[in-house]
Amino acid sequence: MKKNFLLGVTAALIGATALTACSGGSQTASSVKKEEIVVAITEDPRGSLDPIDTFLVTWGSIASNIFDGLLERGEDLKLRPGLAESWEYKDPKTLEFKLRKGVAFQNGEPFNAESVKFTFDRLLGPEGEKSPQRSNYDAIDKVEVIDEHTVVFKLKKPDPVLLTKLAGYGAMIVPPKYLKEKGDANFNTNPIGTGPFKVTEYVKDDHISMEANAKYWGGSPKVKKVKYRIIPEATTRIAELQTGAVDIAARIPASQAKTIESNKDLSLQKSGSPTVRFIRFDVSKPPMDNVKVRQAINYAIDKQAIIDKILNGYGKAISTIQGDISFGNDPNLKPYPYDPAKAKQLLHDAGVQPNTKLTLSIVGSDAVFKEVAQAVSAYLKEVGLAVEIKPQDVQTLNNDLIPKAKAGEMFQFGWGGWTLDFDNTAYLLYKKGQFWNPSYGSPEVDKLLDAERNSVSQEERQKIFYQLDKVLIDEAVDVPLYQDMTLWGVNKKVKGFVTPPDDRLRLKDVSFE
Amino acid sequence: MLSYVVRRLFHTLIVLFGISLIVFFAIRLTGDPAVAMFQGAGEPSKEALDQIRKALGLDKPLWQQYLLFIGDMLTGDMGVSFRNQQPVLQLIMERMGATLTLAFAGIFVAVLIAFPVGILSAVKRGSFMDMFGRIFSLIGISFPNFWLAIMLILIFAVNLQWLPASGYNGFEYLILPAISLGLILSGVLARLIRSSMLDVLHQHYIRTARAKGVAEWVVIIRHALRNALIPTITFLGLQFGALLGGVVILEQVFSWPGVGRLVIDAINDRDYPLVQGSVLILAFMLMLVNLFVDLLYGIIDPRIKLGRERS
Repeated sequence: MKKNFLLGVTAALIGATALTACSGGSQTASSVKKEEIVVAITEDPRGSLDPIDTFLVTWGSIASNIFDGLLERGEDLKLRPGLAESWEYKDPKTLEFKLRKGVAFQNGEPFNAESVKFTFDRLLGPEGEKSPQRSNYDAIDKVEVIDEHTVVFKLKKPDPVLLTKLAGYGAMIVPPKYLKEKGDANFNTNPIGTGPFKVTEYVKDDHISMEANAKYWGGSPKVKKVKYRIIPEATTRIAELQTGAVDIAARIPASQAKTIESNKDLSLQKSGSPTVRFIRFDVSKPPMDNVKVRQAINYAIDKQAIIDKILNGYGKAISTIQGDISFGNDPNLKPYPYDPAKAKQLLHDAGVQPNTKLTLSIVGSDAVFKEVAQAVSAYLKEVGLAVEIKPQDVQTLNNDLIPKAKAGEMFQFGWGGWTLDFDNTAYLLYKKGQFWNPSYGSPEVDKLLDAERNSVSQEERQKIFYQLDKVLIDEAVDVPLYQDMTLWGVNKKVKGFVTPPDDRLRLKDVSFE
Repeated sequence: MLSYVVRRLFHTLIVLFGISLIVFFAIRLTGDPAVAMFQGAGEPSKEALDQIRKALGLDKPLWQQYLLFIGDMLTGDMGVSFRNQQPVLQLIMERMGATLTLAFAGIFVAVLIAFPVGILSAVKRGSFMDMFGRIFSLIGISFPNFWLAIMLILIFAVNLQWLPASGYNGFEYLILPAISLGLILSGVLARLIRSSMLDVLHQHYIRTARAKGVAEWVVIIRHALRNALIPTITFLGLQFGALLGGVVILEQVFSWPGVGRLVIDAINDRDYPLVQGSVLILAFMLMLVNLFVDLLYGIIDPRIKLGRERS
């Protein structure tokens, strides 16, 4: 009796709280024209905005507004001139750039050939030794200054992805005089670039404030200030968006998309993402060494149902482990269809006993993938495979278990590949002996990968990749599940915001109604 | 008294030395920071990894790395973070303000709620007040703190718009995190106060005090509460120590830049110097708090003597 009473009171209290929480519309805070765009992102770039210190996507979301590279990649993901006006391969190992004139860093320091040389000397010299960016640029032997506005990159070996990489993270041009005077440590939190916004304050794990660089070579930004707030919890990001304290919020979980859509002041914006989610097989562990078993598992899983039910439709089926915005993706190839009968037949042909046990290692903290894994396990049970799901710590899984082939027969993997070129992903995951690929190897695949790497003709590379895509589908080294879709919550007063498929926010042309 | 403090501090040093050994080797069992740097993208070729390991000094034999670490520690140098090359001590101290603010505010709220509830429940045992107090504590104990935090945000920030939802920017930003933390703590604390009070209220000296005609509130506050404080102070001391390590979940929900998030990131990044430094500093602070609590016992209850017993 007493217990029931207690339960009743508790339930009533919880109910009341929840009701209060749900009721009442949201009002937006102010009608005064705002001068500052507030963006909520998920994580801090680990205390440093220095381009060579990072590999985190979150760095790209912030620092693409501070720095420029010789080239840049627009929201359409096409390469276009950045700080270089034009470029030309004199031969496969000599690349010449004509630089933009009249550009200055945010501190007034002029941008010229010396700054380009300094940037790459720094990356390839002692300061760059601790940098995870350096190995991206190790094709570069040296940078030579021809005149004030001309530089030549001398290469050790041809690198077909170099131009893309020069639009990317580690190749952002930094100011020589400022760095020499103030040092590298200061640069982490007080960076200076040539970009549209200049950092005025950086408090780690809290916020990064910027002001417009009115002298930006691409034209003055439309807002005066930008503030990035680091809000790791999705519910809080959404709450801040609802209160009007935040104008743009990154990474809205599919499960909370409705909250945004049902709010008249907010809009939900989608963009493709380079990140794909897949299950890899460790082919050194029987029965995964049998291609029929791998194909059977591909047939056994209904990927579209997973996308519709678990991701609420915010995902895309894919044929290989690259997204549809990646160079090398053959749009004509189709994913394995859902065909449990065929899967059973293949397993039978391969001589796999019913109820064979398989392990699937997943990232324990990834709530979405946990559901996906459970669905996968159910699908595989239908065709007679008993899957044991093993949650692991993300670092342990990626850095210890997978490289040492200890992650079981199957494991979760997700990868974007920031260059948006299949080279990055394919080479590291299919070339035998690479860090994350201790088990799989095929002479045919190796040959294609080497051929692709040694060519600078994009046309030829695309042909090779299309060939590779087919081979990989037949070999079924993994189960490509889906390509992520990134969801952004945006206040309707914000104008000119284009969702970036590569997470590199560009805020120059964003303004308020 | 002084010699007691000195002796305790000396013990602290020995414990810290032990901790330094454990944390140094334990963190090295968890994975390679060079690989962790490439998380999500990049090309960790063998050469690239070797080069980074060398630059971070991870190519040296373990014992040598440990000696370097201890040597630097003795001169007060905790090293620099692998990720951003900033001094570890500075990174931690930058965060301490936010952590201490939240810890003190949370405990303040907890005390403010738990003392009246706990005392009233004990004094009016079996009454409606007692039942309310017990239900209240039960709720405090059973609510997951992230749920409570999110509910508070939805009610007070989103719907009523009285308070900011998250951030670390001034007093109004502190209210919701402090209430979330305080409510949860107050559940356990109120129960503890109630049961300690009940113990004490049955003692003979309370009956004596009442028999002497001392006013009831004096009996309760001066005679009973004071003696019921010992377990309460112990609990608060331990809680405060734990709070110094940050309340990671609340820090996450309220995007509060505390020590907890710093340490979690450092562990995920396998940022050895930052993990080592923060564990040692936190351990040291925890030991200081414990020492302070032990000293406080003597003040609350003069019968408790610190130091060697004289026989």
